[in-house]
Parts: sequence; C-alpha cells; structure tokens
Amino acid sequence: MSTTGSIKVTIGDILFDNPVFLASGPAGYGEEYDGFIDLQRLGGIVTKTVTYEPKAGNPGTRLQETPGGLLNSVGLENVGASVFFGEKLPRLLDRGIRPIVSLAAEDWDGYRKLLDAAADTGMIDIVELNLSCPNVERGGMAVGTDPRMISRYVGHAKDILSGAAIIAKLTPNVQDIGRLALAAEEAGASAITAINTIVGMDIDIRVKKPVFKRKRAGLSGPAIFPVALEAVWRIVNTVDIPVIGVGGIDSVDDALKFFMAGAAAVQVGTAIFYDSHLPEKIVTELEKNGIPASINTEGN
Amino acid sequence: MAGIEKGLFRAEVAGNEKLSSACRLIRFARPEGFPDAKPGHFVAVRVNSSPVPLLRRPYSIMDLTETELVLLVKVVGPGSRLLGEAEVGDWMDIAGPLGGTVFPSPDGEDAVFVGGGTGLAPMIFAARTWKREKDSANTYLIHGAATSEELLGTFCEEDFTKVFRSTMDGSEGFNGDAVSFLQSLLKDGAISASKLYSCGPAGMVKSLELKVSTRFDSHYTSLEAVMACGVGACRGCTVPSREEEGRKLMAVCSDGTVFDASQIAWEDWE
Repeated sequence: MSTTGSIKVTIGDILFDNPVFLASGPAGYGEEYDGFIDLQRLGGIVTKTVTYEPKAGNPGTRLQETPGGLLNSVGLENVGASVFFGEKLPRLLDRGIRPIVSLAAEDWDGYRKLLDAAADTGMIDIVELNLSCPNVERGGMAVGTDPRMISRYVGHAKDILSGAAIIAKLTPNVQDIGRLALAAEEAGASAITAINTIVGMDIDIRVKKPVFKRKRAGLSGPAIFPVALEAVWRIVNTVDIPVIGVGGIDSVDDALKFFMAGAAAVQVGTAIFYDSHLPEKIVTELEKNGIPASINTEGN
Repeated sequence: MAGIEKGLFRAEVAGNEKLSSACRLIRFARPEGFPDAKPGHFVAVRVNSSPVPLLRRPYSIMDLTETELVLLVKVVGPGSRLLGEAEVGDWMDIAGPLGGTVFPSPDGEDAVFVGGGTGLAPMIFAARTWKREKDSANTYLIHGAATSEELLGTFCEEDFTKVFRSTMDGSEGFNGDAVSFLQSLLKDGAISASKLYSCGPAGMVKSLELKVSTRFDSHYTSLEAVMACGVGACRGCTVPSREEEGRKLMAVCSDGTVFDASQIAWEDWE
C-alpha cells in the first residue's frame, strides 16, 4: 500500500480500480441508486446477500433510527439465486459495474446448492460470505461465531468456486473477532470484511413491547464506527490477508481512519441512505491524495 | 427502479407558513433539473448535515409547479422539527422524485379524496394536477383530524368542488372520523363518485377499504412508512400484499407508495 500513485487494490487475484465499495444490504442490487450514485466510479459494490431460495425477510417493523444509528431487522430478504444470477448480476456486469457477490445460507444443504448455482453461472470470480447476519434464525451469526464453522464454510467455497476470491464477512458480536479472522485465513479466505451490524434492540414504551418482532436487530451507522475501527485494527494485527473496513463510515475522514488502521479497502453502507455521494467523495479524495499508509505496526 | 427519473438536489427554502399548531407548508424553489412528478410521488429531505437525525425524511409532494416544490410538514419528531424550523434562504438536500407508482387518473369521472392529517398532501397534488389537465369532473375532499386545531382544509378550498371536514372531538365539522363521515355523506346522497383516493394513517385507510370501498369502482391509497433508502434497495419499508401466488412483501417506497387498496393484506399489517 502506498500514499501516492495508484489507488488500485488487489483482493485475491482481482484488481479493483479503487478500494471503495458499497456495503452489502444498503447497496441493494445496485440498480436502485440510478440517478443517485455513479456506481462505475466505485471500486465495486457488494450486492445484497443472496440465499438459494428467495427469502421474504422478517415481518413487522424493520427499521428504527437511533441517535447516529439505524437498527434493522430486514432478515436477508432477497430474490433468491435463480433471479439474482439470471437477472440482477448480468445487468450489473453489462453496465461495467464490479460486483462482489454476497452469499448466505440457512443451513449446509442450502449453502451447497447456492455455491453450486454460483459456480454454474461461470460469472463469479469473487464472493463475500455473509457469516454474520444477526437477523436470521439459522445460518448467519450462529455459523459466524464458531471458528470451526467458518473454516468449513470458507473451505467449501474455495473448493466449489475454484479460483474465485473468497471474502469472509465477520460479526463483531463475539469476544475475539481476531480468532474468527484467523480461522477464515487458515481455511483459504482471500480477505476479511469487518464488521457486520452490532446486535441491539429497542422497546416501544407506549405498547410495552420490543419494537422488532425478533426483539433483537442489527445496529449500523455512525454510532458503530469506533467499534468497527477497533475490530479492523485487531484483525490487521492477526492475519496477513487484506482487511476490508466497513461499519459506520460517515465522512471521508472515517474512511481514511480505516486505511490508517491497516484496511486495504472500505465499504460504505448506511451513509448512502442520507449522503449518497459519500462513496464518490472518498474516491475523489484518494485520487487526489493517495491512500494513507497504515499506522498499525503492532503485532506481526 | 422502473420508469422514473430521479436525482439528488440542493433546494432553497422559499417559504414556511404555519397552517395549524403542528403543521407547516414548506415551499422550496424548484431546483434546476428537478424532474416532473406525478400525484403519489414523494421526496426525501435531509434536514441537516449531522448524523442526528440520521435518515432523510420522506414527504409526499403536495405540489410541484414550474417554480415551486411544496411539502406539508407535521412536526412529530426531531427530523420534522428541524424541517419545520427552516427559514427562507436555507438550503436542504432533497432526493426525488421517488416512488414506483402514482395515482391513476379518474379519467373524467367524479372522485372522492380522503386525507387524514398530512395525508392531505398527495390528495391536493392529485386534485391540482388533474384540474390542470382537465382530467376530473367533481372532486370531493373529506379531511379528518383529531381536533379543529389540527384541521388543515381551509387553504385548499378552491382545489376541490367541495371540502368536507370532520374532527374526532366534534370541535369542527362532522363529529367523528373521516370514514364514518364519508359513509353518512354517501348514505344521504350528498355526494356520489366512482373513484376513491386516500392517504392517511393505516387505521383510517384500512377502515375505508373494509367499510366503504365497495361503493366505488376503485380505491387507490398512498401508504406512509418509515424509510431508509427510499428507492427499494434496503427493503426496510415493506407492507404485506395479496398476490396470485399468495402473500408477498412490497416495499412502500418503490412498489408504491400508491397501491390498489384491495391488494394490501390488511389483516397481516400492524
């Protein structure tokens, strides 16, 4: 990584024009932001997590704003593998937008089918495994908090999507996220994305009930940035593969802090809801002044 | 998202008029290049540049002329409070026009509009648009509010053939809710129309659909919801709808905001 010159970044064997991506979830399938965000200008977008079968997501209230944050309980609503690989993904590729495909499964069988479907497309050279969604009953965080499961999931993706770069997206809802990152690296992951949302909840005092049907929800937005920054710092000190920083970026400065913590790339999520030009502003800053060097010299 | 051109704009506040204790009419100078919008479209306003409050706030377009974009704002929380305090000359970020569907024109037939609270806004935009386009015959507005202090009807009197008002406490107009009022007006033969349009609290719209809609050929409603992206990406603002293959969750922002009210699975919506 340099402070001047090229801002291209390599993850696995994939070369990206710049290290600024939209984060899975808020990014949708990309096309929704036509007129708001120039997606071609970004390094890429991490598409909305897809499961093998279409998923309706969670009933009831799905959003609740907090001071500087957003609780969501969307529950991985998505169009399913068939529509995603058949329609959504080709549209992005046709438009010259660089997708990183986010995958999740509710169980091992669904995971195998999903990976087989992904491999069959012949279009997938990089995926982000969502091993960390707090808003689903099975899969998600239950898998993502167990290093052995992370190892199994990453290893299988390596086998089926041979040659593709595998990114593991990790949850901060654990004692030591570094341990999870190490498990992913040892299983052959090309990079780590950190962090997913933080588990939180809210109560509606008028009706004396939790706001969300599932009670717990995932907190994103500026409120979680310091947590994400520490997690990235910690992971950079634990593994040798690139780390992609995500969580609460609210300004160009926040992105620079992730790079100084040692991140190789950043993702912008919740901020695109209210400051949709922020990812492009970060690219412009990096083009002008380069990627800041890591100040993280702890550990290895 | 299909069909609609949208964008991000900087808009200058051109007016802020008090309509009632809680409601204000906020006028923006129409930003250069702001696309034409149709009744049912909305905008999302970023009320300040700090992360509190975080999200843009969605507002139905109450009017869009060559020079102005007008919103009806009820102060209910920190976001609307900041918007309600806007001063002439302030600039705000506005995303729009948003929405995947619009109110279908009455095609020259008589229409009833039911607007609960600030649900009045898209009803006014529809009435004004169709009047300009000479698409409607008689238009009747039923405007309901909790108290006379919250009634908003007087400033839009000339937009409709006739305006009827109701208050829950009976302090002005019909004593009761807007749906009961419409029922009694239909029963008395005071009004008759084939098209029904509505916007307001979910309880009001549900009650309209279950109790009154059979008296009309169609009932289209613009739903309100808390939104994050406003463009169908985040799937945060879903509402259960009836589909041929069963239940489906629709995003209010991009699959609506205007729905055929008979397609909403009201019994599943809280």
